[in-house]
Amino acid sequence: MSITYQEALNNYQPLERREPAVETLSTEELLQQYHPDHYKDAATTLQVGPNRGDQCHHQLADMLQADARIDEADLAGARTRQTDVLVIGGGGAGCAAALVAAKAGARVTLATKLRLGDSNTVMAEGGIQASVEKDDTPQAHYQDTLKAGHFHADKELVASMASDAPEVIRWLIQQGMQFDLDKFGDIMLRRAGGTTADRIAYYRDYTGLEMMRVLRESVKNSNIEVLDYSPAVELMSNQSGRCAGAVISNLKECTFELIKANAVIIATGGIGRMHLNDFPTSNHFGATGDGLVLAYRLGAKMLDLDSFQYHPTGLAHPHHLAGSLITEGIRSAGTYLLNSEGNRFVDELKTRDHVSSAILKECTEGRGIQVGDQATGVWLDTPGLELRNPGLIAQKFPKLVQLGKKCDIDLTTTPLLVYPTLHYQNGGVQIDKNGLSTVPGLYCVGEVSGGIHGRNRIMGNALLDIICFGRRAGAHAAECNRRPGHKKISIEHLSSLRRNLTMAKMPMEQKGPMLFPECAKFEDDSDYDGLHKNRNRKISTT
Amino acid sequence: MPKRVGLEYINNPQFTNIDAMENLIEQLVTVTINGKEIKAPPSLSTIQALWYAGYPRVQSVGCLEGVCGSCRILVRRAESTEVTMALGCQTLLEEGMEVNFLVFPTPTHHTYNLEEIPNSWEVQTEFHRIFPEAVNCRSCNGCNKSCPKDIQVKEGVALASKGKFQEAGELFVECVMCNFCMTACPEYISPNHVGLFSRRVTAYFHTRPSNLINRLEVMRKGELKIEIDQD
Repeated sequence: MSITYQEALNNYQPLERREPAVETLSTEELLQQYHPDHYKDAATTLQVGPNRGDQCHHQLADMLQADARIDEADLAGARTRQTDVLVIGGGGAGCAAALVAAKAGARVTLATKLRLGDSNTVMAEGGIQASVEKDDTPQAHYQDTLKAGHFHADKELVASMASDAPEVIRWLIQQGMQFDLDKFGDIMLRRAGGTTADRIAYYRDYTGLEMMRVLRESVKNSNIEVLDYSPAVELMSNQSGRCAGAVISNLKECTFELIKANAVIIATGGIGRMHLNDFPTSNHFGATGDGLVLAYRLGAKMLDLDSFQYHPTGLAHPHHLAGSLITEGIRSAGTYLLNSEGNRFVDELKTRDHVSSAILKECTEGRGIQVGDQATGVWLDTPGLELRNPGLIAQKFPKLVQLGKKCDIDLTTTPLLVYPTLHYQNGGVQIDKNGLSTVPGLYCVGEVSGGIHGRNRIMGNALLDIICFGRRAGAHAAECNRRPGHKKISIEHLSSLRRNLTMAKMPMEQKGPMLFPECAKFEDDSDYDGLHKNRNRKISTT
Repeated sequence: MPKRVGLEYINNPQFTNIDAMENLIEQLVTVTINGKEIKAPPSLSTIQALWYAGYPRVQSVGCLEGVCGSCRILVRRAESTEVTMALGCQTLLEEGMEVNFLVFPTPTHHTYNLEEIPNSWEVQTEFHRIFPEAVNCRSCNGCNKSCPKDIQVKEGVALASKGKFQEAGELFVECVMCNFCMTACPEYISPNHVGLFSRRVTAYFHTRPSNLINRLEVMRKGELKIEIDQD
């Protein structure tokens, strides 16, 4: 039986040394028995679309096979814009793609659901991978990535990413991004779980914030047209099935707009706010998997839709902050994970899927720490790290220290309770090394794409992935799509979608893409401001 | 088949499930948000409180972790006449608290392109051309008081005006670009953009890591190519 939080806290002793864990299960056995991807009934078989017959998480399947939000009638009289390259999504991948396409001379429009920069990128903490140390090589980066993804990734994509990495860091510095440097001005590196070399470049534990504020400033000082509060609700195609733009919902004016484009780059991120398997998430409010739905409907092939990453160290207590991410950097710096008996139970620097499964195993087998009936978890032994490396936490992890303050916990003397949190979508839209999907004219970059990380991503490869493939797609879209506009543009693909859904006897009640988590109550009155237009709603619950 | 421990999170208000949120057994407090009275548990943030009480809200919601700067609020606490500025996702409810969400302001009027600064000798001149108001700071302290991250904004602007861009940038490490200081500044200095400019020129002109440069040089010569094993 798990012991209570208070009991565990009383038993806890900060110790400088602890014995390494003795693990009895192989990674494969551990994943099979404890990883949420393998929960009974987690996956279902897709009934319609390009991946018909493939396995997919059932919550995502519901969205991929949902009805569209619009039909032809909604577009009558809608305002139309024309651009060369339309980027959907305003995170790191979208900004990188837009900047590179604009620099190459294309007219670029960037439409984003919330504000520019509202994304998972801004929340990324750990860092970005690039082999720059002299005893490290792009080849080792490539092999570590493949191995951590259980040899399931597309080798050409991984090779492209690993060999682009040093140039990506240079490009970011040229945008004005800072990295932590040693006294000689060299980039400092730390190690990701499951890798063979120190390869993570970082800026404190604010790597994503630093990256995003710089890229946003770069975009705002360019000639890129930015449409905020403008989620895409459907793609459009021309007579030959080539992607030719998108329909966006202008939330401020409550209207639909058509954006015709020679090429479309989807960079909408992941699915954390779908709360798969009822897990909390580390993800941004807007991470509802919209791009997957848009691309799937237009016929883009997907990969690994049953594979997701649960980050080992989400905060478990206090419960109002549950799910908040605690960077892997803290384990990389040497912090242990402890069960209720005060023992290490896993090599903390194994891959994320392994460590998460090990935590779930401890909790399932009664060696977790229980807080009321709200949460269970294991200790992140930051006081032990403080004993071994005094001052390191304050110096290198300001965001974590802030989180500690919010929890009213002094990390140097009290451990944090952690539990896996839904973090990343390993699969996504199948792309080539230019980010091009199987639909002509449609690019997908960043978390929405698949094939780069296999079935498990290592720390630091997400920030690399978004910039690497964002830049590639931006360059390719600007270069290869200079032909004049399309003859006829429509949303005709929705007719066949609806026909297929009907023939497969799928329920048509749900509409996609999801756009906002349920708590935003977007479906009730499409409100954007809050508090102004909800006259028909119950006002208070008490 | 393991027990699904994830389900124990059903009471987690980060959840999108409102019914689950209502199961929270806690003493409720009464607060006023944008003029509406709301009763909600004190462990919720102002944004969570709106959702809890059934008000839709999309605008001003972002990362929910205090790093995106979207959820700007004005707060007046019970028994106090002082109005403070804060981030809505980081502010937990207190009995009698009054909260107003602020619309995100229009973007700054300052524009610049790093590539148009010819070299590092010209940065200071360019800075005063791009941010002519920076020298007009009257030390009103509005920026420092409005900063939800307790950044020494005013001091940063003063350092940048003197050409000490690296030192100025260091003060803005925690800046989330919420633009509170921009709203507060009577001289239209846009202090946060001064901070970000300072940080960007520091990287653009002075970050020259030899380990990275060496690696790029070796790769430029065509070495360290990845061999894709086909099996």
